[in-house]
Amino acid sequence: MSVKRRKIKKVLIANRGEIALRIIRTVKELGLEAIAVYEKPDSESHYIRLADDAIMIGDRPRKEYLDIDKILWAARKSGADAIHPGYGFLSENADFSAACEKAGIIFIGPPPQVISDMGNKVVARKIMESAKVPTIPGTGDLATGDTGIAQAIAFAKEHGYPLMLKASAGGGGRGIRKVKNEAELKMQLPQVRAETRSAFNDDSIYIEKCIESPRHIEIQILADYHGNVIHLGSRDCSIQRRHQKLLEIAPADLPADVLEAMYDAAIKGARQAGYVNAGTIEFLVDSKTNEFWFMEMNTRLQVEHTVTEELTGIDIVRQQVKIAEGDVLDIPASRVNMMGKAIQVRINAEDPKNNFMPEGGKTLEVYQSPGGPGVRLDGVVYQGYRIPTDYDSLMVKMTIRGYDWEQTIQRLKRALNNFLIVGPKTTIPFYLAICDEPDFKAGKFDTNYLETHEQVFDYPEQEREVAKLTKLIAEIHARKANPYAY
Amino acid sequence: MEKATKNMFDERVTPRELKENGAKYIIDKIKRSKGYYVTNTERDLSQSDFKNRIMPHTQLLVARERNDSGFFSLEISGGASVHVDMMRKQMNPLEKLQVLAENMPDTLFQNLCRGLNLFGYRPYPENVVRLTVKTFARYVHVWRVFDFLNYIPNMVAVFEEVKKAGCLLEPSICFSTGPEHTDEYYVKKVGEILAVTGEDIILCIKNHGGLGTPRRIGQLVKGILNKYPGLPIHYHGHNSDGNDVGRIIEAVINGAKIVDAADHAFTGFFGPPPIITVVDTLEEYGYKALGLNRQAVIDASNILRPEREYYRDFESQFLGFDPTVQVHKLPGGATGSSFEQAVKGGFLSRMPEILQKELPRVQVELGNWWSVTPGSQILWTTAVNNVLKGVRYKDASDDLKNLMLGRYGELPFYKPADDIFKAVFGNEWKNYVDCNYCYQKIENIDLDVEKKVLERRLGRVATQDELVLYLQHPNDAVNFFIFEAKYGKTWILPPKIWFRKGGFGLGEKFEIMDAYGKLHAIEIGPQRKTKAGDAVTYFNVDHHPEPIYTEMEQEGSSKKSSGDQVRRKVSISVKELNDLAKAGDVRSQIIGTVNEIPVAEGAEVSAGEVLIVLEAMKMLTNILSETNGKVSEIMVSPGDKVEVGDPLMTITKA
Repeated sequence: MSVKRRKIKKVLIANRGEIALRIIRTVKELGLEAIAVYEKPDSESHYIRLADDAIMIGDRPRKEYLDIDKILWAARKSGADAIHPGYGFLSENADFSAACEKAGIIFIGPPPQVISDMGNKVVARKIMESAKVPTIPGTGDLATGDTGIAQAIAFAKEHGYPLMLKASAGGGGRGIRKVKNEAELKMQLPQVRAETRSAFNDDSIYIEKCIESPRHIEIQILADYHGNVIHLGSRDCSIQRRHQKLLEIAPADLPADVLEAMYDAAIKGARQAGYVNAGTIEFLVDSKTNEFWFMEMNTRLQVEHTVTEELTGIDIVRQQVKIAEGDVLDIPASRVNMMGKAIQVRINAEDPKNNFMPEGGKTLEVYQSPGGPGVRLDGVVYQGYRIPTDYDSLMVKMTIRGYDWEQTIQRLKRALNNFLIVGPKTTIPFYLAICDEPDFKAGKFDTNYLETHEQVFDYPEQEREVAKLTKLIAEIHARKANPYAY
Repeated sequence: MEKATKNMFDERVTPRELKENGAKYIIDKIKRSKGYYVTNTERDLSQSDFKNRIMPHTQLLVARERNDSGFFSLEISGGASVHVDMMRKQMNPLEKLQVLAENMPDTLFQNLCRGLNLFGYRPYPENVVRLTVKTFARYVHVWRVFDFLNYIPNMVAVFEEVKKAGCLLEPSICFSTGPEHTDEYYVKKVGEILAVTGEDIILCIKNHGGLGTPRRIGQLVKGILNKYPGLPIHYHGHNSDGNDVGRIIEAVINGAKIVDAADHAFTGFFGPPPIITVVDTLEEYGYKALGLNRQAVIDASNILRPEREYYRDFESQFLGFDPTVQVHKLPGGATGSSFEQAVKGGFLSRMPEILQKELPRVQVELGNWWSVTPGSQILWTTAVNNVLKGVRYKDASDDLKNLMLGRYGELPFYKPADDIFKAVFGNEWKNYVDCNYCYQKIENIDLDVEKKVLERRLGRVATQDELVLYLQHPNDAVNFFIFEAKYGKTWILPPKIWFRKGGFGLGEKFEIMDAYGKLHAIEIGPQRKTKAGDAVTYFNVDHHPEPIYTEMEQEGSSKKSSGDQVRRKVSISVKELNDLAKAGDVRSQIIGTVNEIPVAEGAEVSAGEVLIVLEAMKMLTNILSETNGKVSEIMVSPGDKVEVGDPLMTITKA
């Protein structure tokens, strides 16, 4: 597969929020023009101001960013010759990638076929199996009705319980259910199928053996149109809540031979898939034996790409643009530096104690962010920013770089403490509690970390005594008399 | 000099001595001593002249000097202070004692306990009384116990617990004047007390009004000691008429062993007289103040004097001595708050009539017992109502009714006349009183249940001390616990911050030592208003910028309701309120606080049933249903402040 070299001049970013800003920054560094698009409720968003031009594409929150026609209209209107989809929204939509190709606009990401292959779990499994990448024992799409249940029971006889029921079209933690025995299987299967149908408009379901308390490790790869595939190392994304990542670390703490085997598998898998551009191959790793299995491939830039960037010094978005332009990857694997540790936390306006309930509608009355060595911030918030009710509650991603694990955690703690946020509740005290938790400090965690370490939710909402006193003095001042004394 | 100091210390009585040798040892030491002791009645000084607002910060400023002063005791707890500590000082009354004890290790602490009424205004269940005494006895060494009817059964539970705790018991005889108040009566009363307590007590003559002449007090002391020689007498008086120094002198000359006075820099008109004046005068007569370090007393006042300006807002509204106290007999502790009510209620101009005509008349009509809490509130409220309403004894308070029904104990001298009973209970009074007259025995409550209720209100586990405070004043205790969780231990704040009005100046700086001993520098920076009308103040806390967000929702809502209030004030008269109540629109006829709501939404009620209990001026008022019907809406909850005309509840007529 080869493609002719073409120069990109103007990139439209088909996304919003922090990732739009992240992409705009690199686009500007490359000397290209950046075009933002926005839905009306996003009209006060910060990322728009940093783009060279911004186009309003409609009123409906979370709908317009998914509207292929409107995005392409905006690209034509602005004269953009490339589109970066970011993550979420249209980023893993093969139709969108195809529509861009058809419209003569460069899609900064993989070709449509790869997106659709990797988007279908069963197809992806087959491709990986043919590349000799270990996959979790599982079935193909189950037949509907009783036949499907019989297939599932037969599989269980061979591999044992527990099992995972999975939506073939699923992702992001949705459409996944664990079953512990035959009774549960019989009950859950029709339910999951119904849920899957309404969520993904596709009710295909398959079964996998359940790997208990695994670690979630992923390998970042880059592939060009000339057959070069390299990896940028690993990330440990084990700390999750309900299958959604909270905190990501690069590199994963695994023996070198295990990591090498995983790199090798990732590169072989990507080649087999005909992968081009930046992608991530996710593996489940047995915490005890370090045995690993392919889980899925993400055909996009990921939220946590920052840890890899901080560790390696490689700007992944820059590489994505270059690959899309048809350049040959000029990073020999031997030049990818992976010294130290990087960790990213997602600072959300959420109440961790209340099931991470978003604090939408609250205003950041005060916002001061940390700085100093090893601190990277990818955020879109500012003093006076109102947490949107229409979009997610991510305020800022903080990526910390350190020399070793201990220093990185100490630095993370220091930087978290240097945030000054007045208004919404945030995930900061929760991360601070994790920083002090002995297993985490010892680097011991798997995907069940939060279930097995509930104490990290017991952080005191205690303030320093002087902060409390100052609050009263502020009240005496603001009200012109002490309401508690008179 | 050194020797003198050591002697002085030997003369003193200290907590250590009490702990090591017991109460009897201390009492014997007082009995044997040649001279007299002085109690610094700081609580009464605060309550009488500053509405109980002297802040812990101020008390700590002079802790060392007061500890060096060599008082018999420092009265620092009890009376209304437990309530005001939580309600207006936002301090845990037990923690206050603990902190002060750490700073004044050689000084006995004293409190004033109203018998079964403890530190409140009406009787508590006996198990609450016992638990409370036991809890406070950790810090309070001297227990001055009284009952406003001198009715001994109302004090027995406290007596027993004080003795059990190994503290010094000081039962009181409340003193007043009039034909019934003879020496014979009081001597007999002392005998009744001794019969219950045994001889190892200190006897307090509690002259809360500062009544009688010096000669009268001298005779009373002599009369008691004639019958009970050697009984240590502690004279407590108020300086309302300006003559308490005279009464103290006569008390000591006639054999009293301990007298009450206070720091001269803070003395006013209705509290205790100045210590140094008392001590210097008695010295001239040849009586020695035992253990007293005169210079330390003066040093304390030198430190206190500049602090007084911060309490200006709380100084009594009524300035100047009041010799007419001999007629109206209002206790010193109630004078300030009475005049405050008169100012707020707009009847200041009628005070001479209330105090000099109606109050003395009501006293005599109701039985000429002692005007002290809660009796003083009953007399005062009745007199005010009689004058303001123009009809005597109409809409009598429940406390007056309870008193007349013998709930609080036997009246000491005589019952009110029939026409008073008729005015209070209506034409059928005789039958009603016959059926209902009895001493009120309050059943013990389930303390575990109370603790669970408290814990539900707090949303967390409560300590035993918190339960005790909650049992005293439930709503104010809960509000205080919530306050403390939010704002921390604010009692360390100096009065110049705590009582500041009009906000601080830009760049104003304070040094604050927090309750954990950390020193902080706080500087006030600029303030801005948010879109929502809230405030963000930029502080420099320990040289770091810290913006603080203050929600101003109260201002917003008061803006909204002030409009309503104006409408209310111009449009609703008492008659209209009565008409509304008959139609089921129940509104407040007074300014007060919702104390209790005995009915729930949806409940069937009949005319005459209690719907809501309001509290004002420490008195409970029942709001009765004017109609039969169903409670369709309740607009208030316990603890809410209400104004005249505020909607309380809606009754849908049956």
